[in-house]
Amino acid sequence: MSYLIATHLCDRRRSLLSWGIPLGLWSAFIVAIFPSLEDTLSKLAKSYPPALKEAFGVAGLTNVEQYLQAEMLSLIVPLALGYLAVRAVASGLSGAAESGRLDVLLSAPVSRSNLAAASFAATAVELAAVLVVTIVFAALGSVVSGAGLEFASAVAGFANVWPLALLFAGLGVVATGFSLRTSVVTGSVAGVLVSMYVIDLIGRLDPGLSGVRYLSVFKYYGNAIEDGIEPLAFCGVTLAGVALAAIGAWLFDRRDISG
Amino acid sequence: MSVIETERLTKSYGSARGIEEVTITVEAGEVFGFLGPNGAGKTTTIRTLLDLLHPTSGSARIFGLDSRRESVAIRARLGNLPGDFGYGKGASGREALSLLARLRGMEGIGRAEALAKRFRANLDRPLGELSRGNRQKVGLILATFHEPELLILDEPTSGLDPLMQEEFLTLVGEERERGCAVFISSHELDEVERVCDRVGIVRAGRLIAVERIADLLGKAKRRVRLELAEQTDLAELKGLPGVGELKVEGQRASFLIGGDLDQAIKAIAGHRITDIEIAHPTLEEVFLGYYEEGAGG
Repeated sequence: MSYLIATHLCDRRRSLLSWGIPLGLWSAFIVAIFPSLEDTLSKLAKSYPPALKEAFGVAGLTNVEQYLQAEMLSLIVPLALGYLAVRAVASGLSGAAESGRLDVLLSAPVSRSNLAAASFAATAVELAAVLVVTIVFAALGSVVSGAGLEFASAVAGFANVWPLALLFAGLGVVATGFSLRTSVVTGSVAGVLVSMYVIDLIGRLDPGLSGVRYLSVFKYYGNAIEDGIEPLAFCGVTLAGVALAAIGAWLFDRRDISG
Repeated sequence: MSVIETERLTKSYGSARGIEEVTITVEAGEVFGFLGPNGAGKTTTIRTLLDLLHPTSGSARIFGLDSRRESVAIRARLGNLPGDFGYGKGASGREALSLLARLRGMEGIGRAEALAKRFRANLDRPLGELSRGNRQKVGLILATFHEPELLILDEPTSGLDPLMQEEFLTLVGEERERGCAVFISSHELDEVERVCDRVGIVRAGRLIAVERIADLLGKAKRRVRLELAEQTDLAELKGLPGVGELKVEGQRASFLIGGDLDQAIKAIAGHRITDIEIAHPTLEEVFLGYYEEGAGG
């Protein structure tokens, strides 16, 4: 299976650049401009309604970690990585079916569940690699600007996105159990991703509707850059992603693969 | 033990037609041609054998193993060229070969280099940059480089130029000599006639004939054309068993005959015949005959 993972990663090597570098540069920019905006942002944050700050997981904007959380980690990075996750997993399964590669691979002695597992595992590595690139760029932005970003906090904040994205990769594998059209797989899972984000946002904005947050994985996302990684949530969401991938592999094994 | 053995293999797609109760056997060292027009069920049969489609009922055994439960073990011993072969745009043939070789537990890429030389295939260019015919050559190499015991080829010469078609037919002959069973789905009846030992004809999802090529051609009706010294209606031929489509125009006559010629020759022996031609049908004519019979109900 390691050959399949390596091949999948090799095929996806461009995504490390096309996703890691833009996210990293953006993060570096956010970190780098913080010192020049610090006073303004601090005053601005005080004027924000408490519910809005709660909705975006922002206690204030008095340090660069809070600013990075507000600008990148509360919305852009989780949504981007969630989408990247489903794109990556789909490229190894539905994308392979569309290109004809799946027929060739399934001429070899490899089980469909191994193919699905390899695609999921390669996606997990790809997500981690993109996050590492992003962290490195953010840290460089801090060094250049003297923003004082605490490296361990940044690592915790970005690493906390990994299980969340992995869950959507797992959902992507489940979706391939029902459709081998990449547009259907990515579209349906991206829809779930955005829906979960909106559901969580509604639950945060209206305390009366906080119960709906249980429908969203974003409830367990938290604010790791400030509070550190919550181990139970991190492991639980990771396991949920793995479980979804296992269910997806089971479905993928049982479906017909039409030419 | 047969290499391929299906028993009433059926695949339904709801309202759309699949295959119904297909029963065939293919032996080691045999080249089996699977004939039928588009949509007849050839590819469905192949995909069911390969466990890409799951049968609705019936069974398929390959090397004595169940095609559904033991498909991984089966695929270790076969080579497959899918219809309309593709592998994505970016990867080269060599990259595809390397991955498949590793998945098959091979150290290198076997005889792929020799096959590439033989088929003049470029293994280093991205497959997306190759013409259809050149991509097909790489597909053939991917199917055969590991010297499988069974080759399943769906429209293998599609896109190949005549020279490469000849090379392919030679390769199939060599594979048969090696003891490999070859299952070919094809529209190219000429090549099927040249290379196959037996053929199965599929119509509307059902297998309507399985015959040795020689038997199929032998049983088929031959057209007899006569040049006569004088005009006659050849009434002697009417009602003879196996004789049909009798046409007489002046001193020329023609008729179709199936089976033994002896009675017909004796019946016309009383006339002075200046020329006679007996045309054996091609596989294509036999194949079309099956379809005309079907169309006629």
